[in-house]
Amino acid sequence: MNDLQQEITQLIIDTLNLEDVTVADIPPEQPLFGEGLGLDSVDALELALALQKRYDIRIASDSKDARQHFTTVASLAAFVQSQRDACAK
Amino acid sequence: MNEQIAQERHWSTQKERGSLFLMRLTALSVRMFGRRLLAPVLYLIVLYFFVSARSARRHIRQYQTYLADWSGNPALHPSLGSVFGQFIAFADNLLDRLDVWRGRLRFEQVQLVDPSGIRPRLLRSQHGGRGEILVVTHLGNPDVCRAMAELGEQVPLNVLVHNRHVAQFNRLLGEAGDRSMRLIQVSELDTAMMMDLSQRLERGEWLAMAGDRVPLHDGRRVMVNFLGHPATFPQGPWLLAGLLRCPVNLLCCLKVDGRYRIHLDPFLDVARWERGQRDAAVQAWVQRYADHLAGQCLMAPRQWFNFYAYWQPADTEATDAN
Repeated sequence: MNDLQQEITQLIIDTLNLEDVTVADIPPEQPLFGEGLGLDSVDALELALALQKRYDIRIASDSKDARQHFTTVASLAAFVQSQRDACAK
Repeated sequence: MNEQIAQERHWSTQKERGSLFLMRLTALSVRMFGRRLLAPVLYLIVLYFFVSARSARRHIRQYQTYLADWSGNPALHPSLGSVFGQFIAFADNLLDRLDVWRGRLRFEQVQLVDPSGIRPRLLRSQHGGRGEILVVTHLGNPDVCRAMAELGEQVPLNVLVHNRHVAQFNRLLGEAGDRSMRLIQVSELDTAMMMDLSQRLERGEWLAMAGDRVPLHDGRRVMVNFLGHPATFPQGPWLLAGLLRCPVNLLCCLKVDGRYRIHLDPFLDVARWERGQRDAAVQAWVQRYADHLAGQCLMAPRQWFNFYAYWQPADTEATDAN
């Protein structure tokens, strides 16, 4: 797990108030929604809001892309990284 | 309830269309003829509405029956006169709205019941400070909150609406000379909208939205007891408040003894739910909101202007509860 993935996992835990869950409990490839961590659409909104604030990025509305970014911690980290790279240029 | 029936019954598809036309007509006529000349015409239109709209009559009768039973006050039981009275109150309400839009109703004419100082907070928040949420009701006259926005200073108030007529409505507001209020259409909460609203709050802007009408295509609704019977309310305002972690206040404007009275009540210091308790938290808030609304119905029993089927028909209660 890289630093960004770790940071995002912690952000998920803090934002959603996941009690008794540590970073180690959420592997980067574990699905966040449904079967995996069991998040739902309102959690997704809460998370999107937190990510946008923290990393100063914009997440487009409920497009198919946006939903894919939210599949796992790994995909979120990749998305955040790509947004940051885009801004840095 | 299948989609088609829902479409037929739903306020956003039937009622607004009619009342928007009525308002446009009224707006034009008021400008041409003045309120005094127009009032009798409007009463005639409402009389026609009363005679022809059987279902609207039935729904008002149902409301009055529930209110009388719930409050244990037999004087509130419906009669032909009391149902008609509610239609007439609607005509008055329309005329008053136009006065508000044209800036005829000044803040000084409105009595403010604000024991916890919510309006000063609203005025202060544009000079630093975070915005809050106002949950508005269709009981009474929500447009009078615009009178509150007057008084020299521009108050940063965004009104969130569900229906598709926003563009028309904005034009109508413009025609009526109202440019201080911003209407934002929110059909579904999405990430971009959340971010926008969140930034508005950070800038000290406030958000107002109705707490008593369920949007047609938003499944996020909750059933609570209102006046003794199950009715669905939207979850939207409460989810929004919880996501934005902001305070929630209730705004209701009633005409009492011919004078408008704005009630501002604090409701939640900060909307937050415990993990896994979201549904229960929202349910509890909405029930408390419905109880509060019921109390306000008693202050102005004839100013309930939801002319559509507000309560669940008895046979669908079980299935819709999910």
